[in-house]
Amino acid sequence: MRFARLYTPAFSSFLYYTLSVQLLVNALIAGSFAALMAAGLSLVYGVLGVFNMALGQIALAGGYGAWWLLMKAGLPFPFAVVGGAVIAAAVTWLSFELFVGPFYKRHRFLPLVTTIALSIILDGVLLYLFKEDPKSISTGGTLVVSLGNAVMSVEQGVLVLMTVVFLSALAWILVGTPFGRRIRATVQHPSAAESLGINTPLLHRLVFIMSGVLAGCAGIYLGIDQNLTPILGFSITIKAYAAIIAGGKNSLKGAVMCAYLIALLEQLAIGVPWFGFYIPAGFQSTVALLIIIVMLLIRPQGLFGSHQRSV
Amino acid sequence: MKRSLILTTLTIALAACSAGESTIRIGYIGPLTGDAASYGVDTLNAVRIHVDELNAAGGISGKQIELIAEDGRCNGADAASAAQKLVNVDNVVAIIGGQCSSETLAAAPIAEAAKIPLISPVSSSPDVSQAGDFIFRTYPSDAYKGKVLANILTQKGFMKVAILSENTDFCQGIRTTVAANLPAGSIVFDEIVDPGTKDYRTLATRLKDLEFDALIINGQSDATNTEMAKQARELGIVQPFFGTDTADSATLQAQAGEAVEGMTFISTSSKLGEGGSDSFASKFLAKFGEPKSNLSFATLAYDALGILADIIGKNGTDGMKIKDALYALDGYQGAAGTFSFDTNGDVVGIGYAVKQFQDGKIVELELVAAE
Repeated sequence: MRFARLYTPAFSSFLYYTLSVQLLVNALIAGSFAALMAAGLSLVYGVLGVFNMALGQIALAGGYGAWWLLMKAGLPFPFAVVGGAVIAAAVTWLSFELFVGPFYKRHRFLPLVTTIALSIILDGVLLYLFKEDPKSISTGGTLVVSLGNAVMSVEQGVLVLMTVVFLSALAWILVGTPFGRRIRATVQHPSAAESLGINTPLLHRLVFIMSGVLAGCAGIYLGIDQNLTPILGFSITIKAYAAIIAGGKNSLKGAVMCAYLIALLEQLAIGVPWFGFYIPAGFQSTVALLIIIVMLLIRPQGLFGSHQRSV
Repeated sequence: MKRSLILTTLTIALAACSAGESTIRIGYIGPLTGDAASYGVDTLNAVRIHVDELNAAGGISGKQIELIAEDGRCNGADAASAAQKLVNVDNVVAIIGGQCSSETLAAAPIAEAAKIPLISPVSSSPDVSQAGDFIFRTYPSDAYKGKVLANILTQKGFMKVAILSENTDFCQGIRTTVAANLPAGSIVFDEIVDPGTKDYRTLATRLKDLEFDALIINGQSDATNTEMAKQARELGIVQPFFGTDTADSATLQAQAGEAVEGMTFISTSSKLGEGGSDSFASKFLAKFGEPKSNLSFATLAYDALGILADIIGKNGTDGMKIKDALYALDGYQGAAGTFSFDTNGDVVGIGYAVKQFQDGKIVELELVAAE
């Protein structure tokens, strides 16, 4: 009886929209991009304990790099994409040597300042090199397919699948390889790991570059699906931070899950009538982040976080 | 006490410096970086052409013109500090700009307080009319544009209109005037997004389930308009798109392609400044190539400097006198046509054109006379 009373027309329309496949598809597209960013960020935080505030700009460097190789240098599409990731890796490696490596052993908050400086420098460089007008990485025609009553383009489908492949590969590296074991050992007890002969400086460098490659892939993703504008970097970084904090600072799984979760919350916030009204679209991120804050009040260690350090 | 004394001395010294200058300084504010920079680059280039021409011909009353350009980044905060610098440090005699309405509205109180005339070549927000006595514009107000757009929609029999707006002064101006000029209840979908938003899929998903006749793509920049149009079409929205000046852009066509095919929008005529081998259009093309946004913006910026140079030549550099002469202007013959200013400082004589993307090109359908 109680259930029947609840089941009013308003509630059923709420259910209908909530379960609308299109909203889930939208969240999957937005979430995959965020997950690529958050995964790398979470890894760097877990292993090195530093914040990289320039990750958004590194993502754009990868995206713009792929755009340049494809549209200006005339490389075939697959080479341009790989090239973009390589450019992102190179930028990240340089960033590590100049802006993170010399500082993070002295104090783990120093890179916070130096990478903010780096992000401002990269903003300027990107603007100078690629100008202000939007750029998109063209795959030559968009083919839209329908899945029931939802639609998705083929390229979006490929992007979402590639993200899953990448993140699974990352998880496999961490869990199933000797390299991953060393990473996890370093996270749990850095000095013990070092005394067992693990080359932590090299490991830190590799993990940092890995996060840059993931971010570069995210940038290419953005360039293919939407468009690249040079001043976008900071807002991308902030969204990724929201995901790693909500997920629990030392949990890669949590960061990835929360990236998808925030994307879903953002779509639900404006895609579903709440008690008969739509929340204005301008409050999309506000609502999603408010929910995250409420969640953190209840679970301060994050959704998937624990007090033990792990990746 | 001591500090204020030093400051006063410095100010006097600076003022003395500029008083002794042999140049006439004119300031420029516009978006030179950021999403909206295409308007800024075009209008600044146009002003530069005119400054170079006048200087080559001996300047104004024998004095060379010195152009000082500042980046307003299409937002109020940056435009306000740009205006402060132009007024207090550079001691300009007049300002051309801002370009984005947010810039002009933020720079206006500073120019007004300093009694320095400001002419905006591109700002069209209705709020600019009331921004002050010293504030003028060579671009028609959106109060009228919203009406024209609403008329087109009504004529076509579109009774249910959806509008997707970016949260900037310009887009909000369009949003309110269109709504005010349509019959009550015609707006069936009215969403505002933050500047820089790239994900419109969920809003488009909602539109798909809604009954409506036309969608107004009301974004400020190419990046925004592209994603609004592209994602709506991807999700299966088939209704016609409408837009404003910001859609009048070759970049939008290149980025959105098929998605904007058939989109109708109103803007100032692309033919402003054209005609003949010595026209402004041919000078601009020869020096800077194809405009990044639209030649009419550049033409109106070129004319803004022309009017100032004319008036300063006749009346000197006193702000009060320049202002009075601007109101008294009896039909200035510029590259864009013959025009003057009304009591709000709004341009009289520049009309609109209805344009459409056809086969990947911008086609001018008809002219709407100035009111």
